[in-house]
Amino acid sequence: MALLCRKGLNYFGLGILLPMMVVTNLTETLGMNYKLFFTLPRNHFIYNIYYLLLTPMYFYLFASMLGGNMAERRRLRWIALAIEIFLVFNFCFVQGWNDFNTFSALLVATVCIILSCLVLARLTMRKNDEAGLLHDPSFWINSLILLFNLVSLIILGMYKYIVTNHLGIRDQNLYLAIMPAANAVFYAGLGCAFLLCQLQKNK
Amino acid sequence: MPTAKEQITTTILAVILVLLFFGVLFLVMLAYYNFRRRQTAKEKKEMQAAFEEQLQQARLEIQHQTLTYLAQEIHDNVGQILSLAKIQLSSFKEGDPIDFPLLHDARENVARSLQDLRSLSKGLHAGKIRSFNILQAVDEEVQRIRRVGALTISVTSEGEEHDISDDKQLILFRIIQECLNNCLKHARATSINIGFNWFPHQLRVRVRDDGQGFDAEKALRLSSAGGNDTGLGLQNILNRTRVTGGSGDIRSRPGEGTTITVQIPYE
Repeated sequence: MALLCRKGLNYFGLGILLPMMVVTNLTETLGMNYKLFFTLPRNHFIYNIYYLLLTPMYFYLFASMLGGNMAERRRLRWIALAIEIFLVFNFCFVQGWNDFNTFSALLVATVCIILSCLVLARLTMRKNDEAGLLHDPSFWINSLILLFNLVSLIILGMYKYIVTNHLGIRDQNLYLAIMPAANAVFYAGLGCAFLLCQLQKNK
Repeated sequence: MPTAKEQITTTILAVILVLLFFGVLFLVMLAYYNFRRRQTAKEKKEMQAAFEEQLQQARLEIQHQTLTYLAQEIHDNVGQILSLAKIQLSSFKEGDPIDFPLLHDARENVARSLQDLRSLSKGLHAGKIRSFNILQAVDEEVQRIRRVGALTISVTSEGEEHDISDDKQLILFRIIQECLNNCLKHARATSINIGFNWFPHQLRVRVRDDGQGFDAEKALRLSSAGGNDTGLGLQNILNRTRVTGGSGDIRSRPGEGTTITVQIPYE
C-alpha cells in the first residue's frame, strides 16, 4: 500500500514511511523464518536490530510532521542521537544482542507516545482550513502510532516477565495473544492513512 | 479463586484497556476541539461578511438619501429662488426705466440661492463624510426633523465619549435613522428621545417615543415567518446590531409607546 501511494506520501512529506515499511516487512519475514537463515535458538537479535534501525526513521518522520523551526529540529536531532546511543549501548553491553532489549522497547514506545501527542497537539492548533483534522492523514498516522505504542509499552516492556512466568490467555502467551491483533489494527490503519494521502493528493 | 498469574494477566489487560481508553479519549477531545475552532472561525468569517454587507448597504442608503436630499433642496429651494430671480429679471426691457427695488430683489434672490448652494456644498464636503461622528450626524438628522415641526425631539448623551470605528458608527446611524423613520411614519408620537450612554466597554443607544405603540413580539414573530414589512424593518435593526457584535432590544405595547435599545461594543 505504501508503494502504491508513495506519491501521496511524498506529497505530505511522509515519504520516510516507505523505507520504514520495508524495514518492518523484512524484519517480520526474517523474524518468522529465522531458522532458515540462522542457527540461533531465538529471533530476538533481529528485533533488537530492528529497533536500532527504526528509531532514527521514527525521529525523521516526527520531525517532518512537527515541522518546527531550525532550533526545534536541532533539538530533536540531539535527542534522537542520545536515544540511538542508548539503544546501541543497551544492544552491545547491557541487555545484549541475543536477549530481547526491553529497555529499548520501553524507551522507543515512550518517545513515540510523547512525540505523537506533540504532533497531534500541533496539528490541532494549526488546522484551521475547511478540510479539518479528520481529513489529514498525519492525524490518523499519529493516532495509530500513539495507540499502538500504548499497547506495546506494556506488552514489550513486560515481555521478559510475560515469557518467564508464562502469562497468557487460555494457554496462549499474552504477547502472542495481543501483539498480532495490535499489529493488524496498526498496519491496516496505516494502509488506510496511505490511501487517504493519495486521495488527498489527487484532489 | 484466580491464581496470582491470572491476576497479573488481568491487571495487564486492564492497564492496556485503560491506556487505550485514555488514548482514544485524547484523540476524540483533540478532534472535537479542532471542530469547535473551525466552527468559531467559520462563524467569525460569516459575521465579518454580514458586517461588510450591512456596511455596504448602509453606505448605499446614506448615499441615496443624500442624493434625494440634494435633489429636493435644489428643486424646492434653490430652483424656486432662481426661477423667481429669472422672472424678475425678465420683466426688464430695453429702453424701459429701471425698476431699482425689483432689481435689488432679484440680486437678493440670486445671492440667497448662492448662499444656499454654498451651505449645501459645505454639507457634502468629503472630509466631513470621511470622519463620521455619530453624535454630530444624529444631531443633523434631528435638526432636519425639527424643521418639519411635527414633534419634539431631544438628544441626550451621558458618560465619556469613546472612539468607535467609522463603519460601526455608520451602521449605528442607519439603525437610529430607521428608528426615527418608524416613529415618524407609524408611531403618531408627540415626542422622541434619543439617549446615548457611553459605558466603559460599550455604547448604549435608546430611542424612546410616546406614540401609539404596537405588539413588538407579534411583529417580530410575523417578520421571522416572512410576514409584515414593519416587522422586517425591526428585524433589520436587530440584524444590523448583531453584525456589529452588539445586541438589540425592542419593547412596545399598544398605547404605551416604543423603546428601542441597541448596545454596541467599542472594539
